[in-house]
Amino acid sequence: MAGKSNEERLEEILATCLEELFKEAGLVAQRVSGEHEPLNLRESLTAFCGFGSTDFRASITVLGSADLFSRLHPLPATVTPRDLADWACEFVNQTVGRYRNRLLAYNVSLALGVPQSALAENVRLSSSLRNSHNPIRFSIDGVMLDVWLELNIRPGFQLADNPADERAGALREGSLLFF
Amino acid sequence: MGSKTVLIVDDSLTVRQQVSLTLKAAGYNIIEACNGREGIEVVRSGAPIAMVICDVNMPVANGLEFLETIKGDAPAPPVPVVMLTTDGSPELIARAKRAGAKGWIVKPFQSDLLLSAVRRIAGEAGL
Repeated sequence: MAGKSNEERLEEILATCLEELFKEAGLVAQRVSGEHEPLNLRESLTAFCGFGSTDFRASITVLGSADLFSRLHPLPATVTPRDLADWACEFVNQTVGRYRNRLLAYNVSLALGVPQSALAENVRLSSSLRNSHNPIRFSIDGVMLDVWLELNIRPGFQLADNPADERAGALREGSLLFF
Repeated sequence: MGSKTVLIVDDSLTVRQQVSLTLKAAGYNIIEACNGREGIEVVRSGAPIAMVICDVNMPVANGLEFLETIKGDAPAPPVPVVMLTTDGSPELIARAKRAGAKGWIVKPFQSDLLLSAVRRIAGEAGL
């Protein structure tokens, strides 16, 4: 990640978190590079979660088709529209939680908000802070999912060059610890 | 085993369904609560709960507030609680341990892992 900006590096770490989540869900997701046209989706879902640290405040917004969220759902045989909206929130929650765990190794401690979701139609994600419109895009069996990371970083902040060993002691996803 | 009841406190319907399906299949009874405050009300109602599985990041009252409140309420050893959360930070884990939690699971979870935790903790509860 040498030579990359804080924003680019933070986005790369988020993309890695998403790749891990897809893999654990048994899905083959490919990162789509290049400039993206907005997704032209009807009956889609969007979910959002804000979070922050002493060095930046940020949010993650996920946008995808209802069909895709249905495929990501851990109990796909039982889903209703209400289930999908709830699952979109939980998907963002698990994404942000994993992101928080990864950033601990960079000495960044995030406080998380509570995710929200909404039905969406013809939504285009864009940034109020950056002059660009290029979300992180994944193709899952040819179906696209967009993830937008909005960052407002404190001037002078510099993300550590390398993570500390084993995420500074964060417990790994799927782990169980008895006290 | 079948008479034991587990309280699930999580704002996510999906997670409550996942946990509930796993535990019902193993013979447990389930009570659900959508946030920490609802969870506190269930515990204070005197329902015969063998253990609680509780999220951390929730609206109204979060999981650590739930844990600290029921610990403060209890004249006797409080109902055992295992936290089920996306968060793996040592700081929060230490806070939960101080407040009396019996365990910590980081989502996403495997059903067999969850069931092993419930069997160990609910088995110790003696209800």
